Amino acid sequence: MTEILGTPKDDFLASVRGALGRSTPSNPSPPYFRLEESLTDLEKMEQDLKERLLIDHDQRINALVESARATAWNVNRFPNLEEATSYIADLLTTLGVQHAVRSNQSIFHQIPIDELLNNLGIESAVIDQNGAGQLSQTQARQKMIDADIGITGSDYCVVETGSVVILPRAGLSRLVSLGPPVHLAIVSPQEIVDTLDDVFLLRRLDYLRNGGDMGSYLNFISGPSRTADIEQTLVVGVHGPKEVHMVILG
Amino acid sequence: MPEVKTQAFRNSSETALKNTQLQQALKRAGTGFDGARRQAIDSVGADNWELWRDEARKIKIHALENLDYYLDLLEQKVTENGGEVHFAKDSEEANLIVSQIAKSRNVQIATKSKSMVSEELDLNKVLEKSGVEVYETDLGEYIIQLAEETPSHLVAPALHKTKEEVALLLHEKLQVPILDDIEDMARVARDVLRDKFFNADMGISGANFLIAETGSLVIITNEGNGRLCTSAPRIHVGITGMEKVIPSLQDLGLFLRLLPRSATGQHLTSYVSIVNGPKRETDEDGPSEFHLVLVDNGRSRMLADPELREALYCIRCGACLNICPVYQKVGGHSYGWVYPGPIGAIVSPELVGLKRASDLPFASSLCGACKDACPIKINIPRMLLHQRHKLSESTDVSERNIGLTGRLAAKFTGHILQHPKQLSITRSIIRLIQLPLSNKGTLKKTSLPILSRWTKNRDMKVIAPKSFRSIWQTELYKDKD
Repeated sequence: MTEILGTPKDDFLASVRGALGRSTPSNPSPPYFRLEESLTDLEKMEQDLKERLLIDHDQRINALVESARATAWNVNRFPNLEEATSYIADLLTTLGVQHAVRSNQSIFHQIPIDELLNNLGIESAVIDQNGAGQLSQTQARQKMIDADIGITGSDYCVVETGSVVILPRAGLSRLVSLGPPVHLAIVSPQEIVDTLDDVFLLRRLDYLRNGGDMGSYLNFISGPSRTADIEQTLVVGVHGPKEVHMVILG
Repeated sequence: MPEVKTQAFRNSSETALKNTQLQQALKRAGTGFDGARRQAIDSVGADNWELWRDEARKIKIHALENLDYYLDLLEQKVTENGGEVHFAKDSEEANLIVSQIAKSRNVQIATKSKSMVSEELDLNKVLEKSGVEVYETDLGEYIIQLAEETPSHLVAPALHKTKEEVALLLHEKLQVPILDDIEDMARVARDVLRDKFFNADMGISGANFLIAETGSLVIITNEGNGRLCTSAPRIHVGITGMEKVIPSLQDLGLFLRLLPRSATGQHLTSYVSIVNGPKRETDEDGPSEFHLVLVDNGRSRMLADPELREALYCIRCGACLNICPVYQKVGGHSYGWVYPGPIGAIVSPELVGLKRASDLPFASSLCGACKDACPIKINIPRMLLHQRHKLSESTDVSERNIGLTGRLAAKFTGHILQHPKQLSITRSIIRLIQLPLSNKGTLKKTSLPILSRWTKNRDMKVIAPKSFRSIWQTELYKDKD
């Protein structure tokens, strides 16, 4: 269903062209280097990126801990899986969590999150319409509005900005990390990249490889929800989570 | 379009100077934002910052020079992503597009994240007229919506309000007790709006950037309202100026480094959301429809004027407001329309018509601080001078803001400054005339009504008894010998 609302595209573009003193469509001149890059060029860059990420692994994680703390994530790093699991259990107990929602991401094959939630007597829901549980969309949404905590993995984690990046898709609702007042993100070391540019290179590659689709949404999360709209006074948790926790497995 | 009061700058700013609450609010905001910006720049190093600014400016120059190409590409890619693009030549058309989408899809409630373009269009009013309940969800925007005002700052729309005023407003409009704690005030807004987010049929957002090659809309927010508006409702409408497009997703990193640092001093806002069309079939949630409304509304006029094109490079960070000595004293509302501060003084006259905003190019001391603070190095003072020139030389006599006397005086001065002999004679004549009018080297305040606009707040120096030229010739040059 495509309605024509407003000015037809050709007329609109013609008037823009007129403002630029041109009468016919033309390619950018001089050409823009990024749009000239081929998949092979980008793959070469990806190779360089991967090689860069192979070294200084420990320093990179430490740098992430620092930058994420600077944006007010509560960050903890556990090279040992059992320690991570027991930390998460303590955290959930301290927070007094009664209802939890989680995404369905591969990280939860490593962390036995359901067992853990179950043992603590926390009522939990997996938000995955095609997975086990089969909540209706309305039910799933209500769970995410009411939950005390939302637990997700991460798709990328950016050292430069201390951001967890998520790509909403099947098994990863947009609201798990947004609806509840607390968000817990579990980060696996292979998701860590150095800069924003690294993420955009990888997403751009994904776009080209998937025939021009990189998924509907991409979200960078850098700390809690904040506002300073009244007298420049910082308040956290205005519409999104007021508390965010990052657990790094490595 | 919202009411245009740009022609009243002189009066509004005088009133603003006497408004003690406003002065208190402005003083508090004062150097806070700008201090944070400077700190953020220091932490990345001034050299890096300069490189980023130059790089970003280059990209903007290129994108605007080829705007037709990039808009075409953007439209193709958004469509491939499953979204729809609508083009609006002016505000009426833009408003009609959004209200038609709302009407045909039976939209009852719309939630909005911050969008300056929607303020420019007065979109809320039009939607409300067609029966849609519209809720601003950015805390600052929500406050001014309750107060039925317009934003006074690009980044902090309610900057002009003290917390006492906000407390009173919430009390009157929402029947809550008069609160003292800012956190409690924010919680009141959260509670009201949370319900709206999840019951809204339509989420409306602006765009900080549009990415041509991937058909993406980028919004950067701190509160999470932008994420909710683009995640919870069944329809998402992005509405923005056509100048926001940049070529590649890989250009975005650079702009994300510049914008939050320039705006609030943050390295990055809490959230950056990149929307690539509606939800995909297997997605858990998200709007099933995505519309992008691209607005011209006077922008092509600025694009066509090589002197003013660079105003379209603006990324709306507000750094020029935060550093401007005029804005700091008169506040955003004095500028009389949607866009305040130095950049507003350029954009508003172009969008509402120079004739109706003839004071704005003069709402500046031309100190140039705005240009230095601008992350895209936009030369605001140069454009203000250009507009002043346009105003004085306009062929449309009613547009000229300078009367015949002023024009003749300027022409005369221009002439004699080019002719040293005539200058010397004129000087001698003025020295004679000014004798009875002067007092200790300055002109008496009441002596020349024609200069009253100058002498009201400042002293007018008389012409010195001896010119530098004659001092040089008779004394200095001789001494050298």
